[in-house]
Amino acid sequence: MTEQFDYPADRESASAAKVHALEALLIEKGIILPTTVDKVLGYFESEMTPLNGQKIVAKAWVDPDFAALLAKDAPAAIAQLDLPDGMAGAEGEHIAAVVNEPGVHNLVICTLCSCFPWPVLGLPPYWYKDPVFRARAAREPRAVLTELGVPLTDDTEVRIWDSSGHSRWFVVPSRPEGTDGWSEEELAALVTTESMIGVAVVEPPAVAVGSGA
Amino acid sequence: MTAGAVEYDESGRVRFHDSCVTDTNQPTFEADWQRRAFGLAVALSEFDHYSWDDFQGELIRAIDAWEKQGQGAEPWEYYDHWVAALQRVVEHHGLLADGYVGPRERDHAAEHDHDH
Repeated sequence: MTEQFDYPADRESASAAKVHALEALLIEKGIILPTTVDKVLGYFESEMTPLNGQKIVAKAWVDPDFAALLAKDAPAAIAQLDLPDGMAGAEGEHIAAVVNEPGVHNLVICTLCSCFPWPVLGLPPYWYKDPVFRARAAREPRAVLTELGVPLTDDTEVRIWDSSGHSRWFVVPSRPEGTDGWSEEELAALVTTESMIGVAVVEPPAVAVGSGA
Repeated sequence: MTAGAVEYDESGRVRFHDSCVTDTNQPTFEADWQRRAFGLAVALSEFDHYSWDDFQGELIRAIDAWEKQGQGAEPWEYYDHWVAALQRVVEHHGLLADGYVGPRERDHAAEHDHDH
């Protein structure tokens, strides 16, 4: 496999030079300021993180009305929560939630480029953009999920959601057993980015030795 | 999607890029230029020099062209496609052309017209 993914050093430095030159030209023309890119990156890296998605999922687990609204109109539900400003900006305006339930497992992919609900999940993991992952997940999702350790029974229905410019999906995973009476904060801490993409489930809290099968 | 990007392991299963299975939490960017290219594309869209859909359309076209090349294609690097898309959208919207009118100047001109 190595050849297809080898990345020669000179190509790397050529790419870096292209980006540097473009940013320098845009600054010189007065289109952006020297601080603009850092400001935008800083906002993304501090505010648009999976912590937002974790809070949304935890709320949906404890509040059935919120969960129902989330499935119907995710932006309206998200607006009720105290989350950072700008959630509706870049890639946030078309966020939609799909809910796992007994017998149904949802998986989000983007076969075209790598659309992703940044405001709730942060930036996508590297593998989400990988062409092999995208192709395989679309063609044989059950095999991919099984390899990634998602427990599926024969009668579990796997639903694939292909993100696009119009809908950027995220998954509300199932609440794990053994969490009755937990606070939203405690629940949120259990939720992983992978579970909100659908390549993992939320594991029950490790309370007893030998509980993990 | 062509089969060109797909390879098989000894047992005949399609193989992921290593990063798909070894560490799902690894950082999004492998190099600073990728991070800056990301920030640049988002910044220009956020400040209304082009719509996000315009950028995304270019990104889809760039990736699609790579996939259609099959085995003869350059090795996969997502952010090379990102940079190509960024260069094209900047060019199509004339950001670096002489006499480019940015969103702020456009708004100002519209207000000015309104006064007359």
